[in-house]
Order: sequence, then structure tokens, then C-alpha cells
Amino acid sequence: MNKLTMALAATTTLLAANSYAVSTLDAVKDRGYVNCVIGNSFPGFYSLNKAGDWQGMDIDICRGVASAVFGDATKVKFLPVQWAQSFTSIKSGKGDILSKGMTWTLSRDAAQGLDFLDTYFYDGQGFMVRKDLGVKSVNELKGATVCVLTGTSSELNIADYSRAHNLDIKTVVFDDSSVRNTAFFNNNCDALTNDKSGLAAQRSAAPNPTDYVILPETISKEALSFAVKQNDSEWANVVKWTFAAMVAAEEFGVNSNNVEKMRTESQSPVIRRLLGTEGDLNKGLGLPQDWAYQVIKNVGNYGEVYERNVGPDSVLGIDREGTLNALWKDGGMMYAKSFR
Amino acid sequence: MDDFNVKNEPALKQFIATPPRLPPKNERGVIGTILHRCFNSIGNSVLTLCVAVVLFYLVKHILDWAVFNAVFVAESRRQCMALSADGACWAGVISWFNGLIYGRFPMDEQWRVNVGVLLGLMWLLPLMSKRIPLRNFILLSWIGLYPFVGGYLFLGGRFGVELGLVHGTMTCFALAFLVMLYMNWVLSALGYKGVNEWFLPLVSRWAERRIHLMSFIVVWVLITFGVSLGLSHVSLEPVAIERWGGLFLTFIIAGFAITMAIPVGVVLALGRRSKLPVIHWISMIVIELVRSVPLITVLFMAVTLLPIFLPADMEFNKLTQVLVAVCLFAGAYMAENIRGGLQAIPKGQYEAATTLGLGYLHTMVLVVLPQALKMMIPNIMTSFISLLKDTTLVSIIGLFDIMLMARNIANDKDWVGLHTEPLVMISVLFFILCYSMSQYSLNLEKRLKVDH
Repeated sequence: MNKLTMALAATTTLLAANSYAVSTLDAVKDRGYVNCVIGNSFPGFYSLNKAGDWQGMDIDICRGVASAVFGDATKVKFLPVQWAQSFTSIKSGKGDILSKGMTWTLSRDAAQGLDFLDTYFYDGQGFMVRKDLGVKSVNELKGATVCVLTGTSSELNIADYSRAHNLDIKTVVFDDSSVRNTAFFNNNCDALTNDKSGLAAQRSAAPNPTDYVILPETISKEALSFAVKQNDSEWANVVKWTFAAMVAAEEFGVNSNNVEKMRTESQSPVIRRLLGTEGDLNKGLGLPQDWAYQVIKNVGNYGEVYERNVGPDSVLGIDREGTLNALWKDGGMMYAKSFR
Repeated sequence: MDDFNVKNEPALKQFIATPPRLPPKNERGVIGTILHRCFNSIGNSVLTLCVAVVLFYLVKHILDWAVFNAVFVAESRRQCMALSADGACWAGVISWFNGLIYGRFPMDEQWRVNVGVLLGLMWLLPLMSKRIPLRNFILLSWIGLYPFVGGYLFLGGRFGVELGLVHGTMTCFALAFLVMLYMNWVLSALGYKGVNEWFLPLVSRWAERRIHLMSFIVVWVLITFGVSLGLSHVSLEPVAIERWGGLFLTFIIAGFAITMAIPVGVVLALGRRSKLPVIHWISMIVIELVRSVPLITVLFMAVTLLPIFLPADMEFNKLTQVLVAVCLFAGAYMAENIRGGLQAIPKGQYEAATTLGLGYLHTMVLVVLPQALKMMIPNIMTSFISLLKDTTLVSIIGLFDIMLMARNIANDKDWVGLHTEPLVMISVLFFILCYSMSQYSLNLEKRLKVDH
């Protein structure tokens, strides 16, 4: 028995040593592509088009990392996993980046073996009601029935909010989002609650979208963020700064159309440093000189990624102005640290 | 005693049934039948009218939704709704049709799936002809060799580079076999000898027995060589297994499970009836364990728990895990079906086989199993049908089979919220598939004359 335990212990140590010996960046370079963990489908963030290609904001972040490492946005493999597998797939090293619209919370950051790096979309729980109800604020929903998905944080948030504001909201719970939406559109409940990005998508699927309004209040913090395996700062830096380069590029007015011209003509030192024509910022990251240029050329800056996937002209149609997702210059939270 | 045969007794009269009388005049014809059957009393008339009204509204609503108010050509769901608010939006299903059938298989390579499926069917086509010899051999060759051809077409790659040496060689052998099969079929139809007998005159003096086999192998190897020369110039774009999907993936999983279910089931069933305690107990534990756990939990365990136990660099394909799980499942259920068949074989059959001097293997293969399997056709087909439907469960663990592709339509930015139509379409498709399977089994029963 004792021998068996020892053998087992030895094996586990070996396996552990094996999986921690190489840093993720080296492993990715050896492998030739990035493994990106996503979910099955979430319009605007990750979904299939009919040609079978992935598209969405999370997808663009992973493509950005692939561009930074390889100069090629296609060198990424997407692994759609169930919710329960999200954490284990990163811990086991099966995935390099977790980017599946996951909210950054303390328990996930501290207890799941993940390091959350940055937030690419600030979301929050909101409410949608029929326009003819005449409701202008959540606080007018006293005694109302609200459709909600069971087992989600939305269900817990609404209970907290209702108790704190003495609203006596009655919830009608559903197991399946399409059933919940149908119930709401058939007037089985007064309001529908979900993350605001989700509400926008659901409104766009309504028989007549203009009949519904999304109330201004946001009752919870849902910071959709990407994460990597804990204790691998080399890889974490690569992923974190790839996203920072997208945000910085928007701030400096660099986009996928003018990046070529900017690279050769721009005299601004910040832009020259960002695009790798001056200085050696790439050395510390272990990436090629033109990594940020490749990211912007292949994927675009943050503004382009936003507009393409969730902006007013996309199906979600979420305005950016005045929200937390605007650049810090415009009063939002998108703030890239200094490229120096 | 022989003298009592009917043939030898002309005095014995044959029984001739009197033809049935026609129904009374007012019950003849369509109207007569309806009046007589459905309106023969007040209660019945009311009932008939009620059912007719309900049926009429049901059919009318379904047809209105699915056909008359439906939109077949549109750019997006919004446009569908603008054209007709209360009809089905088939345009979304039509624009995603390739996705539903081929999954994420690259558009330009989808012809390979068609060719692969056609080759698989072609292989089995000679079985339709009753004159062809060695029918079981053809079936076995399909199980043993076709997967290499299919794998080559679906995965792609060049010989010796992406495609392994063994796989490549086996593909050539398989294709050569198919070529021989067809040449033989054509030759035998024209009344000639088969190609495998080309070398017969040359070697016949040298060796007396086994010449058929020798000649067969020589011709096979020669054709294989020719095929490999041809294939080495072909290079197919490699396609990752992750991109397999849609109905195609459903067929792969169901096809694999169906072909493996019978052999696995036979082994487990015979094992369970074995008098050797170790074999008996192992078979019983496998059957009972697998049968008592829902398929979905086995699938979940295969994909969530295995990565934790295995080292990080050991990459197991999700499809392989699923195939093993589904195969084990189908085998365990099949084992019990076959055991039922085995128990129904009278003891006399075993005793007769023993009297003839047949051993265990021969008794089983020649006497017992053919009867047992024949008797169990309805049960076996029921298992196959439920297996085909169960494969949709793999969508839950993220394999892009037809179910998950259908759910993705509702998340495509042009077709957000399109849930119902894809599901209706899948239901219709599965009905067609399952119904034709059950019709085939009825046909098989008739041909094998199960009810003596």
C-alpha cells in the first residue's frame, strides 16, 4: 500500500513537473498555434457564421494574440467548452487563453487557478419592458413579474435588488433562454432581465423591436474579461499587452486601414514605439518587432472590434458613447497603460 | 406412411374458399363507407364532426405557418418578419443548409464528403445482387477497409506527410479492393471469370490447393500498386477533425456505433452465457455498468474528467472519446438483445449441432447465431433507431453535429432568435431517416422469412 502511494505521488509530481516545465509562450511557439477556450455560442462575442467560421469579440481577442505571436490571425484554434470545463481546460493546459464572456469575480480569480488580465467589455444586468407599459425606471417595477433564467447570477442579483429596494418583484424562472424570450414576447411577464448585451440581442430578435425598451439602470457589475493560467506572467504579459495595443491604437488614431501609412510616415514617438519602428518594447515580451502592427493590421483597434461585433450597426446594436466601454478620454474605462 | 401424401391421393378434395359477399348497396363506395362507419348514430356523427373540425384547424394552422405564410427567400430574419410576420422563416434554414449537412467542413472541400459517402454506398451496392458470391465477405471488407478510404477523404493530406504510411497503404488496398469488386461484378454479369482468377492457369501446375487465394492476393497487390501510383500525385487539403460536423458527423457516429454494436454485442452476450466464471462476470459487469448509467453522463465524464487525469500534452480527440463511449453503449444494449435471441433457440439445436460433431465456434457461427440474429431483427433495428437519435446528445459536449449547428442558427447575427424552424427541419429529417430504417428492417424480415 505504502509503495503504491509513493509510486502515485512520484507519478503526479512528474506529471506536474512536466506540465509546468515550459512556459506557455514557448509551448505556443513550438505548437504553431494558440488554443483559445470559448463557449458554444453567444452572439456578438463568439458565434459561428454559416461558413463555419467563428466571429465575435472574444474571437477577435484570440486572433489578436495569434497575430502578435505569429503575425497571422488564423494561427489559433478555438475550443468550445461547457461552463463546467472552462476552468479545468485552462488549468490542465489544454487552452492558453480563456475568453468566453466570463465575468471577473473574486472567487474565480482567487480560487480557480486563473489570472484575469483585463476587461474588454463592461456589462451589467438590466431590464427590458414593453414600451406601452410606460415604465421609465426599475423602481417603478413594484410587484411586477420578471422572466429570468434559473441558476444564473441574474436570478440572485434580482433577488438582492428587490429586497434592498423593497420592490417585491416576482420572478418567473426558465431553464432555456429561447423559451424565456418567447414567454416574454407573449406577455407572460412584465419584464425580462439579463445582461444588457444579451438584452440587446433579444430585443433584436423580437417580432417588433421598437415595441420594447431597455431601462437605463444597471443593477450589477459584469466585467467580461479574459484570463490565463495562474503564475505564468510571461504569457500573461503577451495577452494583456496585445489587448492594450488595440486600445492604445484607437487612442492614437491608428486603425487597420491607416496602420501601413502610419508605420512609415508617422513622426509621433508614441505611435512609432507602438508599431515597433522605434525602441525595443518587443524584447521584454519575447515577441517579434512588429507584433503590435500585426495585431492592428489583422484584427483592428478596439473601436473597430467593438463596432464590428457589438456596435450600433451590428445585430446587438449597443451604443458605445457614454458607456464604460468608451475610451478614457471620452469618459469610459478603456485605458491602455503607457507604451514606454 | 409416405402413401398418405396429398400428391398421391387424388380423391382428397382441395379446399376452395367461397368469395366474400359484397356489402349492402348503401354501404358501397367512398361515401357509403363514410356514412356507414362515421355517421351511423347521433353520438358518432357528433364525434366525427368534432374530430374533423379539430383536424381541420390543426392542419390549416400548420400549413399556414409552414407553407402558405412562410418565407423562403430573405436576407435576414428581420426581412422574413417584414415579409410575413406569422409564418415560418425557411430562408434561414436554407441559407444554413450546407452548415446543417456538412457542419464546419470547409466549403471548397465539401465534395469530398459527398464522394466519401457515395463510395461507402457503392461498396455495399453489389450486395443487392443475389448472384454475387461471398456476400458476408463483402460486408466484412466494408467494415474493415472502408474506414481507411473515408478517413483519407475526410481528413485529407498528402501521402507520407499528413497521412501516415499505414493509413495510406491501407487506403490503397481498400480502393484496390473496391476496384476488384466492381470488375468482378461486371465480369460475372457478362459471364466471364473474375479478375482474381487471372493468374490461375500460371500457378495451377505449381500448387494445387490455395491457388484461388494466391491468385486473389497477387491481383489485389498489383491493383493496389496501380492505385498508390495514382494517389501519390493527388494532394487533398487537410481538414481538422474539429471541423467535421452537421449531419455528416451524425452519420459517422451513428454508422460507427451501428457497425460496432453487433460484434461487441455478440461477444458480450456469448460471454455472459459462458460457463467460465471470469468471462461470465466480466461481461456481466460491463453490460450492467454501462446499461445503468445515462449516456450523457458517460459523455460528460469522457470529456471533463479525462483531461484532469491525463498529462497536459496527451491530447485525446473529443470525437475518439465519444466514439468509444457510444460504441460501448450500443454494444451493451445489443448484448441483451442478442442474449434474448440466444435464449429463444431451442436446446435441440445445440444438441443437434453437437451430434454432428461441431465445436463451440462452429455451433455458434453456423447454427445458433444466424437464427438468433434473424429472430431479433425488430429489436436490433429499434436499438439502431434509438442510437441514431441518441447521437444528438453529443451536441451537449460541444461536437458540432446537426443539433448544435441548428442551435447556432439562432445565434448567427443575421438570424438571431430563429429557434423553431431549424428544429422542425431536423425533426422531419430524422423522421425520414428513422422511418426508412424501420421500413428496411421490415423488408429484411420478409426476405429472411422470420415468421416461419
